[in-house]
Amino acid sequence: MESSNYDFRTPRKQSATGIIFMFLNTLQKLIRNLAIPLFVIIFKSNIAARYYIFLALGILIILVAIFAYFKYHSFTFYLDEDDKKFVINEGVFVKTNLTIHLDKIQQVNINQSLLQRIIGFYTLQIDTAGSDKKEGTIRAMDKTSAEELKKRLLSRAENSDNTEEFRFVESVDEPIVAIPFLKLSPLTLLKIGATSNYGQTIALVIAFLAAGFQSLKDIIDIFEVDKNQVGQAFQQGVTLLSIAFMIFGVLIFLLIFNIVRTFIKYFDFEVYRQENSLVVNSGLLAKKNTFLNAYRVQISIYTQNYFQKKMNMLDMRMKQNSVTQSDKENKNSDIEIPGCSTIEKDKILTMIFNEVPKEGIKLSPNYRYVFLSLFFWIIIPSTILLFINNWRYPLVDYVPYFLTYTLFAATMIYYSYRNHRLFVSENYVIKQQGIWDIEHQIIQPHKIQAITIKQMLWHRSANIGHITCHTAAGDINFKFGNYDTIKNLMNYWLYQVESSEKDWM
Amino acid sequence: MENFSNEPIDINSLPRYEEVPLNALDPNYWKVIVLNICISILLIGTASGLVFLLKKETTAYIVPVIIAIVVFGAFLFVLFRMSFKRRGLAVREKDIIYSSGILSAKTTIIPFSRIQHVALNEGLFSRMYNLGALEVFTAGGATGNVKIHGLEINLANKIKELLAKRVNNGI
Repeated sequence: MESSNYDFRTPRKQSATGIIFMFLNTLQKLIRNLAIPLFVIIFKSNIAARYYIFLALGILIILVAIFAYFKYHSFTFYLDEDDKKFVINEGVFVKTNLTIHLDKIQQVNINQSLLQRIIGFYTLQIDTAGSDKKEGTIRAMDKTSAEELKKRLLSRAENSDNTEEFRFVESVDEPIVAIPFLKLSPLTLLKIGATSNYGQTIALVIAFLAAGFQSLKDIIDIFEVDKNQVGQAFQQGVTLLSIAFMIFGVLIFLLIFNIVRTFIKYFDFEVYRQENSLVVNSGLLAKKNTFLNAYRVQISIYTQNYFQKKMNMLDMRMKQNSVTQSDKENKNSDIEIPGCSTIEKDKILTMIFNEVPKEGIKLSPNYRYVFLSLFFWIIIPSTILLFINNWRYPLVDYVPYFLTYTLFAATMIYYSYRNHRLFVSENYVIKQQGIWDIEHQIIQPHKIQAITIKQMLWHRSANIGHITCHTAAGDINFKFGNYDTIKNLMNYWLYQVESSEKDWM
Repeated sequence: MENFSNEPIDINSLPRYEEVPLNALDPNYWKVIVLNICISILLIGTASGLVFLLKKETTAYIVPVIIAIVVFGAFLFVLFRMSFKRRGLAVREKDIIYSSGILSAKTTIIPFSRIQHVALNEGLFSRMYNLGALEVFTAGGATGNVKIHGLEINLANKIKELLAKRVNNGI
């Protein structure tokens, strides 16, 4: 790498204006935690007491500012190019020394929160591999030095790695400031919002509503609103017609919410190709910049539902080594690329695998696959319904509802069975699954960490078994397969893992 | 037609894991299991005995409760005996095989090159019989790890050293 104006060898502090950011950041946290109790205290206290409260608050803010100053001064970092390590020293009261070896660095992210956007700062975050969960975060850096440091950190990591990482030799000559090879237009975003990720949105809305109801309840408790009145109004309002309207309204609301969420998350979404890695930029409020090394991808996933198929659109997700990290970080190290066309999907897969993975031999599960689902989703509910009916209502009233439900559940189970397939070829294992969103998970056999085969006692005569490939980014299951076949697969994959020179990361 | 085959390598000539004879656990481990079962039963028995002493009106149920505890104990005994008999371990040139399970027979194989680290645990009772539990960790997370109880401590140490050596050589 050519030398530049940026010297990271001597211990450096963050940008000087970082003090302001630290101050605001701590203040923001403080306000977030104290706002409600403080509000209650001020509201309930008399004027004389309020004076002291404001005084205390003023002192607290000054303390925060002093703390921010010391925090800024105690935070230093430097890059030791000879020992190939990056060192961060921090801490006002408790001093911490964090040493990260460059070849353990998996990912360097540059993010920007709303607050940082106002001041013009970036956060540099270093993700490391391995079970020791050390992570380095530098909270206040200007853009050019952040990018320079990121380049240095990653160039070291690459130089120290050996052989097979230089797969994309032909692209090394390309200029670093490449043209994005995938860019999402607002129209595509609209399409993505309208067709995908319903599940996540519903979960979000439910969480949001739950929190909303809780605070509504609090308000009612505080103001001692006559609960009966509210209850009555609610009951009168709920007629069959209004239920239909409500459902319709909720659906529209979900759709709009989903589209808005998609815009916030994927606004200005761009994918660049940089040597042998992918760089993903996105975000409306908080800019996110993620870096992905092709050979560190453990599982590549593409998902498509019926609507998306009609529009020639796919969602892609690349999972990296993340089992050792907590769930929240797990999501962060996944790379999502929504709204690719089939051609773009193939391009991305080619980046990762050097070719478009072939599906190979197709394995289908035994018809017994449906039994367990049938039992859980149809037989148990109908038994419960029968019991309830014995106590109260005549059975006939429920038959149409129950038939509708059964039909729905049976269709779901059928599709889940029909989509549960495993494709095996020499270099790839592809698992297809899903009911509405059909997902393809692609792994390479040398990324397998361990394999488990399982057979239930009563499946012995039917010659059926389940197989699980454990990878560093999660498990891949194939259920109710022919036992002889999956035993062969186990032997074959073990042979591949054990004879392969390739490292899994 | 689900029989898997592949041209360049004859699948039938590959080493077959299912033909590898598995080593049973140390017979002494059965004693540890029995000890554990007895302690559990004793605890349940003492607890119900206390209830009978403190609440006189429950004494009518003494006989059914005793029968229930005995049946439960016998059930545990049979269950663990079966489980004990079905556990097995084998170390091949390049991987380690562990089988277990009563209702669902489960076999996990971990190639040496994918082992992250190995741990040896000794419980209180296990130590009395010179036994140890070997735990093999992979990057595949909790589901990809294997814990083998009831190995003779010298054997466990030997396996551990062997694995550690292979792991280091492999990388």
